[in-house]
Amino acid sequence: MNLTRDEIIEAVNGALVNEMELDPADLSPEKTFFDDLGLDSLDMVDLMIGLQRKFGISLRDNEEIKQVRTLGDVYDFFEKNQAMLTAQAEAAKAAAAQAAQQETGK
Amino acid sequence: MNGLKRVVITGSGIYSALGFTPGELFDNLAAGKSAVVRAGEEENFLPTAPAPRDPERFRALPRTLRRAMAPSACFTAMAGLAALQDSGLTQDELLALSAGCAVGSTMGSVSTLREGYALVISGQSDRLSPMHFFKAASHTTAFNLARTLGLNGAIYSPCSACASGLQSMGLGAALISAGQATVMFCGGADETGSEVSGSFALMYAHAPVEDDPTQSSQPFSAHRKGLVCGEGAAVFCLEEYEHAVKRGANIYGEIVGYSSNSGGNGLSQSDAPAIARCMTDTCKSAGISPADIDYISAHATSTLQGDAAEAAAIREVFGANVPVSSLKGHLGHTLGASGPLEMAAVFEMARHGVLIPTRNLVDVDPACAGIDHLTAPREKPIRIFFKNSFAFGGINASMICKLNV
Repeated sequence: MNLTRDEIIEAVNGALVNEMELDPADLSPEKTFFDDLGLDSLDMVDLMIGLQRKFGISLRDNEEIKQVRTLGDVYDFFEKNQAMLTAQAEAAKAAAAQAAQQETGK
Repeated sequence: MNGLKRVVITGSGIYSALGFTPGELFDNLAAGKSAVVRAGEEENFLPTAPAPRDPERFRALPRTLRRAMAPSACFTAMAGLAALQDSGLTQDELLALSAGCAVGSTMGSVSTLREGYALVISGQSDRLSPMHFFKAASHTTAFNLARTLGLNGAIYSPCSACASGLQSMGLGAALISAGQATVMFCGGADETGSEVSGSFALMYAHAPVEDDPTQSSQPFSAHRKGLVCGEGAAVFCLEEYEHAVKRGANIYGEIVGYSSNSGGNGLSQSDAPAIARCMTDTCKSAGISPADIDYISAHATSTLQGDAAEAAAIREVFGANVPVSSLKGHLGHTLGASGPLEMAAVFEMARHGVLIPTRNLVDVDPACAGIDHLTAPREKPIRIFFKNSFAFGGINASMICKLNV
């Protein structure tokens, strides 16, 4: 994951338009997910799972993403944390590969 | 029904491979159309009878509802909305009445279960959507119907495979008859997939690949080789008689008899004595003689053993005096939807005064003989009809409806 802010906005908004069927015209950074965009907590989990898949990262144990309120918060989160999230994902992948290798070697 | 209250049907809605309204379904059945096509590689090219899984059509359901729905629940919700509209009941009336629902299916949603297995088995369970449970749950058709119609009464979901739909109707009727509900939306739904068709194929109960798939399902025929799985939904508005009359509702008919039993030993085999007992008990619950029945809508799925057992039971209870047909030659076996969906067709037959024959029935199997098989359309008024639904696990269910209430 090595994206510009515009690419992050495009990916996040794309998920909201395609998966949540929101109107692109409604997607501005100050909009809150629950009150302005009409989503709920289950939608937010679905959205994050979709973004995990898109970005090849894991957000399951990330506390900061659980605090987002606005669309802008999400853009900021990925812009700020993408290097860390990518490193985490690569470390997890390497650990899984090592575990698989050890299993094969038994 | 031997209860305190009379139970009538005041609304109907369907979603099927041969039509999205009962009238359209009747027209296609009367024209002799078949829903059966050849499946893709995923289902080993077996014959199948799919209903349209049309995202554009399903957009009639708001996303906030649809997100928790697999095809089986979408079929149900579409049929349920049509039934509600047909009933003329308003949202305020539903809430004031604490209207409930009873809708069943064979196993929730096979397509969603498959998607879930694929992710879990490949170590990607963290990619499962939080909606997965709601789409796959065994009662997905029922609670999704309640959410769609805004029902605040009891939600039931009899899960009895191919008898799910008729048992749901029976349960709803029993609750109203006992004075525990005034309005219940009841029916059945199902979606087919390789888990279902493959299971029947393993038991040599599924029709094989044929050059002409429309000839695959041949209930009661000497040449039948097995059933064809189909899908769809039907939902009826069941209502307490006095309430329906008071509001001037259109009454399709009255549920006057219902019974369900088992042979006590069944797995996949049908049990003719248990079926006969179920049909006899249904007549008793209606307080009518078998001779009063004008038409029997058979369960007959085109399996060797099941059709013969049902024919034997009909022969014992009704003799050769009542016309019989199965609509599974046209629609395939729509599993949990089959009972209510085929009932919706019978109400249309009654409206037109025409009995639809069993499609693909030319040479009656001697094991299925001795009953009045419909092999061609027959003009006949229907005042009272009989519906059968049977299921794996030895489950039998029968219902009697009286028209011109």
